[in-house]
Amino acid sequence: MNGPRPGDDVQAAPIPYDWAWLRKGMAAAFTLPGLVMAFSFMGFGALLHSEGLSLISGIAQDLIIWALPGQVVLVDALARGVPLLLAALAVTLTAVRLLPMVVLVLARSRMPGNPRWPEYLAAHFIAATVWVMSEMHFSGIPRSGRLPWLIGLGCMLATGMTLATSIGYALTGMMPLPLAATLVFFTPAFFLLALVDGARLEQDRIAIVLGAVIGPAVHAVWPSVDLLVGGLAGGTLAFFAGRFLRRPALDNPDAEDTP
Amino acid sequence: MTDGSAIWFYVIVAGALVTYVWRLFGVLLVSRIDPQGVVLTWVRAVATALVAALVARMLLTPSGLLAHTALPARLGAIAAGVLAWRIMGKRVEPGVAAAVLAFLLLQQIFP
Repeated sequence: MNGPRPGDDVQAAPIPYDWAWLRKGMAAAFTLPGLVMAFSFMGFGALLHSEGLSLISGIAQDLIIWALPGQVVLVDALARGVPLLLAALAVTLTAVRLLPMVVLVLARSRMPGNPRWPEYLAAHFIAATVWVMSEMHFSGIPRSGRLPWLIGLGCMLATGMTLATSIGYALTGMMPLPLAATLVFFTPAFFLLALVDGARLEQDRIAIVLGAVIGPAVHAVWPSVDLLVGGLAGGTLAFFAGRFLRRPALDNPDAEDTP
Repeated sequence: MTDGSAIWFYVIVAGALVTYVWRLFGVLLVSRIDPQGVVLTWVRAVATALVAALVARMLLTPSGLLAHTALPARLGAIAAGVLAWRIMGKRVEPGVAAAVLAFLLLQQIFP
């Protein structure tokens, strides 16, 4: 057999995933984003309790749904006895936002040529917080370690959030309102600062402003699609504005991630 | 109120399946698009605008506990957070800490 020649890349054995990063991903759960997330899930535990639902049904939602807005919508539907089809429709509408996040995170972490099961597993853990965390950490992780890191992070976060849900469930009603509201306030504060901090392109900054303007405007007219319309309209406008303003050097923001 | 085994049916069908299906689409899609390409840049803009819309909703028209707090407290605290992020070397942690402390304080001023 001859050695690999230029142009043989496609046939070359794929670089395998580096599972040593699994443990580092688990450790990353114990940082500020994990704490912020825990406060949100404590709020979810409190909601379960106040709606008269069992803790175990909430823990199951943490593990198999893993998307807080959808879980809140589902709990509301269960409490009000909404028909299954309508509940499913409402939840799936909140979950559409996960698609772009999965695409973005996997585009920077998957190793083409390998079996795809780690991608299907990692996708289950991808939601807003994990997307934001990947933006913060990926530049310091070799590409082959990114998917294992995600899976370690996701497993540890999911475990921690079942605990946070339980704590919130038990603490309901024992906390004064300003303190309880402050726990919830961690989430918008963290998301906004993470977005602002992670904005690398002109289009990112424009997208933040347009999303924050269009979303609430749509919310006033048709609340259930405010995020979708805010994201699609604001993002698309920002994308074209960014291309209009862009300098050629910014064409490939993720160029350093080429495997 | 839905109860008993119906709850589990809801959690699995109206919760888990209808959520994972979008993640599944993401996995199927990502192998078909150019990771350096323009489609991904657009997807990034959409995701950014979407999370910004989520933050704006939580601040302007919140539900649950935040609905019981005053709008000036929420907006003032966010402004304090962004300001702290700017001053403290553009780091997220001091920004979040400042926003949360400002929120505790502003809730006393705007009950």
